[in-house]
Amino acid sequence: MRRALRVLLPLVLLLAGLLAAAPLKAQPGATPSLAAELSTRRIEVTTAFTGGEILVFGATDRLIGGDGDEIVVLVTGPPTSLVVRQKIDVLGFWINGPSARFNGIPSYWALAATQPVELMFGPTERTDLRLGLDLLQLPQIGSTGPQFRRALRELKQRQGLWVDQTRPIDVSGGRLFHARLPVPSTVATGVYRVQIMLAREGRVVARQELSLQVERVGTAASIAYVARDLPVLYALSAILLAAFAGWLGSVLFRRG
Amino acid sequence: MQVYLPIAEMSVDALLLLGIGFGVGWLSGLFGVGGGFLLTPLLILIGIPAPVAVGSGANQTLGASVSGLMAQWRRGNVDVRMGVVLLIGGFVGSAAGVQLFAWLRRAGQVDLAVAIFYVVVLGTVGALMVRESLGAILRRRKARPARLHEHLWIHGLPLKMRFRKSRLYISVIPPLAIGFAIGVLSAVMGVGGGFMLVPAMIYLLGMPTSVVIGTSLFQVVFVTANVTFLQAVQVGSVDIVLTLLLLAGGVIGAQFGAQMGTKLRGEETRALLGALVLSVAGALLWDLLRVPAQLFVIGPAP
Repeated sequence: MRRALRVLLPLVLLLAGLLAAAPLKAQPGATPSLAAELSTRRIEVTTAFTGGEILVFGATDRLIGGDGDEIVVLVTGPPTSLVVRQKIDVLGFWINGPSARFNGIPSYWALAATQPVELMFGPTERTDLRLGLDLLQLPQIGSTGPQFRRALRELKQRQGLWVDQTRPIDVSGGRLFHARLPVPSTVATGVYRVQIMLAREGRVVARQELSLQVERVGTAASIAYVARDLPVLYALSAILLAAFAGWLGSVLFRRG
Repeated sequence: MQVYLPIAEMSVDALLLLGIGFGVGWLSGLFGVGGGFLLTPLLILIGIPAPVAVGSGANQTLGASVSGLMAQWRRGNVDVRMGVVLLIGGFVGSAAGVQLFAWLRRAGQVDLAVAIFYVVVLGTVGALMVRESLGAILRRRKARPARLHEHLWIHGLPLKMRFRKSRLYISVIPPLAIGFAIGVLSAVMGVGGGFMLVPAMIYLLGMPTSVVIGTSLFQVVFVTANVTFLQAVQVGSVDIVLTLLLLAGGVIGAQFGAQMGTKLRGEETRALLGALVLSVAGALLWDLLRVPAQLFVIGPAP
């Protein structure tokens, strides 16, 4: 009940605002049939950060489900470059063998929908919209072979950084929806793009795009900042702090 | 209690890190080694990326050794002159080692190189230590008078120098070379190198056991400081939050260990340390030989 209130209250405010703004934002030929918002525009990574979630909520003007509208939420994190290495057996030792490099792939990627997207769209539409981990563009450099791409998908999913429809979007009252996308503590900082799509009869009829900032704050932010931008100062402080902690320990816990 | 490590970019249980720190610190005090050779593999085992484990391991070894060094210093067990000679070699060696590490990282073979270094170095040192100390224990039983130290070919080299506290008059070349080798290993393995330095000082230089631990800690403190500096500046892999958590447990453990160490005889200490070193080498070797659970690994692009 409390959770429902927490979700609904901003929603009501949002809808009120939206109604007021509607004439200005109106799309040609139709009134906006989709309105969505994020519970927060900022995920703060502090030294106590253990992961979080991206909560997307919104409403449609027609009923969701049945033969009506469906909602798809796609979140993409800042791009990154990764190397996938295959372990090979050399004289009984397992060492890193051939590797493939993937440039410009999303560090975080999450898809959620009210129905499995495979049922919602035909193969062509789904490919065009890149809805599905299997359709994600993964330009591969270095060793060839599909096994690297497969391993990349599997390992990223295991890390919880690529989430492919593990939970459907919840719908309440036929028109209100909310999606919770888990964010592990290993998440990269940067700008996250959240796309909310309204699908009808296998096509996207309305879409909204929001963004979210994941950033380090507090001590974690200062440490990462000093380590990156002032490495000499950071190195010297690390040495002095460690030595001081060692000295302090020998004074405090001196025995005998 | 989870804590977020800003450089490793992940969250880890703080109590687990404190516990690891305590255990390693206890051994550090007991054997007069920094304990880095246990710490780095343990950190990798709990999922810390290898470069961060190596960089922070060196930094933690520095702090842990400071408290050990102070305990030894109070007892007058540090040969400063020998320490400085070792250190000169150590600085050059650790600078070279960090270059090697950065190159291995670019080549994508850090994990393998670190594992192989561990297996080879720990296996050799552990086996030698166990063999020698068991021999010494048996000799003691037979009560045969032992010489102060063996005279080897290395004692015939030029540039001789007197090390009063160690009761030695030897060439500076062997300590310089030993210091250099330990420096390289320190940078690549994230260790202080005490577990190698101690036997090298006893068997190669012929130093008396009483000053070996204090002098090795002296060298370890400054070499790990150098490694910390170079790793932080060049690789950017020193996580101060990780280091401090490990140290918080470590400094307490080290005091217990040092107290216990005074009650053990030299040979027994060496035999125990040798067995410990061998078992770590064995575990890492097994890890290299067994079929990995994951045939693929992902890592950041260099």
